[in-house]
Amino acid sequence: MEEQKPSLLNDPPLAQRYGLAVVSVALALGLAILCERFNFREVEFPLFLFAIALTVWYAGPGPGILTVILSSLSFNFFFTQPIYTFYVQRSEIPQYIIFVTFAGLLAWFSAVRRRAEKQLLQSRNELQKQVAERTQQASLLNLTHDTIFVRDMKDVITYWNRGAQELFGWTAEEATGKHAHRLLQTGFPAPIEEVQAELLRTDRWEGELQKTKVDGSRVVVASRWSLRRDDQGRAAAILETNNDISDRKRREDEIRQLNDELAERTAAVEASNKELEAFAYSISHDLRAPVRHMAGYTELLQKHASTILDEKSIRYILTILESAKRMGTLIDDLLAFSRIGRAEARATTVNLEQLVKDVLSELQPETDGRNIAWRIGALPDLYGDRSMLRLALVNFISNAVKFTRTRPHAEIEIGCFEKNSERVIVFIKDNGVGFDMKYANKLFGVFQRLHPSEAFEGTGIGLATVQRIIHRHGGRVWAEGSEDTGATFFFSIPAHRR
Amino acid sequence: MDILGRILMVEDDPRDVELTLTALGEYNLTNEVVVTRDGKEALDYLYCRGNFADRTSDNPAVMLLDLKLPKVDGLEVLQQIKADEKLKMIPVVVLTSSREERDMVASYKHGVNAYVVKPVDFHEFVNAIKELGVFWAIINEPPPGSITKGK
Repeated sequence: MEEQKPSLLNDPPLAQRYGLAVVSVALALGLAILCERFNFREVEFPLFLFAIALTVWYAGPGPGILTVILSSLSFNFFFTQPIYTFYVQRSEIPQYIIFVTFAGLLAWFSAVRRRAEKQLLQSRNELQKQVAERTQQASLLNLTHDTIFVRDMKDVITYWNRGAQELFGWTAEEATGKHAHRLLQTGFPAPIEEVQAELLRTDRWEGELQKTKVDGSRVVVASRWSLRRDDQGRAAAILETNNDISDRKRREDEIRQLNDELAERTAAVEASNKELEAFAYSISHDLRAPVRHMAGYTELLQKHASTILDEKSIRYILTILESAKRMGTLIDDLLAFSRIGRAEARATTVNLEQLVKDVLSELQPETDGRNIAWRIGALPDLYGDRSMLRLALVNFISNAVKFTRTRPHAEIEIGCFEKNSERVIVFIKDNGVGFDMKYANKLFGVFQRLHPSEAFEGTGIGLATVQRIIHRHGGRVWAEGSEDTGATFFFSIPAHRR
Repeated sequence: MDILGRILMVEDDPRDVELTLTALGEYNLTNEVVVTRDGKEALDYLYCRGNFADRTSDNPAVMLLDLKLPKVDGLEVLQQIKADEKLKMIPVVVLTSSREERDMVASYKHGVNAYVVKPVDFHEFVNAIKELGVFWAIINEPPPGSITKGK
């Protein structure tokens, strides 16, 4: 095939082709003359015909005609009487005509045959090329990890790639020829008629399918179908690609389950929050009223019976009043504490320096008449709920004021150091009565007090409230100190919007 | 100070009623106090129906309203009053035990004129009631059509 190719499919240059015509005629003529010398007669006729056939075959019709003409002339000149002239004797005419006719016919047959042969070769080459291409495509399809198979319109598998083998377990030999849906036990999300109808309408279909592997386990696949139509537009085959999404599905299910659990828990938290709120609400309404009545009626009693009461009775009455008042304060503080957990935080940028100034002026009634040396350093902007942070500072600073009360020269320092660009640590340091570090863990508990209430008033809720506020800001609060030398309270807090 | 406006008090707790009246009494403000014991009774008074069908149809000069009330609660009463063309002019002071923010916000949203938390301390309570009574029943000019009485 390879050697015929240049002679038949790729014609040689014109000069070569016509050269072949001349050379073949010259050779035939030479041979014929040579034969004649050795008294071999009548060989010129087949020799010329051979030259013609050869030329037509290898050089095409044009050089063939030239060969016919040259052969006719040579035949005429050398082999018809009288020889060595182009004149043809009357008796030689039939033979000459026969030769020319024969030569022409041979040339024609040769040309036709050559053309047929050439076309045949061409189509064979094309076919081979197509086969090579298809083979290459098929092996490319084999290379992909996607699962691809082709089935005809009766769902019989005609192609099965390596990905399909890897996913489902059947080899191409095993799967080809089988009914696809029966082999894979395909589970459809919708009736198969609808799927087919959509495929025929739009030439494609996409969806999630359930299939079965050779080992019987089920997989969920994202399936895409493309319809191939033949030249007449009739549906011919379906190319189906499948991607295993079982893992994804499982993860989705897990996430859904987790979400459900989360929703349940959120609902539970919300419910308990609501309960807490209802509880706080009724405390706010119902618990304060009796305390108020106790205080009110005791006051009235004191007024009405003041003349008949002895000193002891008056002291009892005063104790009742004090206790009622204390109860009222406790309830208020406890409500404020619970409100920190319930209230929505409204975060903005807060100027801490300004906030400290505000708090100091608010605490002026407590600081008036006291000898306090304030040292307030440069303070940064924070990001948080202004009113909550204010409440925290009020607690810190009023504590410092309160616990330095016994000092003739009180010193209170407020400052900060930046831990990094994101967090700020603020501290409030005093030279007050301090505390024993042994009990440092009790400082921030509700109703925890480290000093007797006769010495320092308070409900023991302030620092618990502070801790709640700082925790709600994603910060931390801690304290250092020792008995009789003072205390330092620290809190860390984000400097910027988180 | 020769005109005394009528005070409508809505309070379910008899002890609170007594304490409030005592406080008002210290400043001779009790004469024109009407006490109703729940939200329904308060509305009956304002609309002159039920036990109050015979009263003159004038509005009180001020209304002291507790929030937690049987039958119809204080916020509902407030809402109805402020939605009524004829009643909405009545100054309403919420006088309650609760310092809850949502009560406060709801009251102001419904158009309350003042919100007072009853102090636990009796002296403070008396002072608060006195100032309330003096301001609303004497200093404040009530809207036209309110019940007042020459003192």
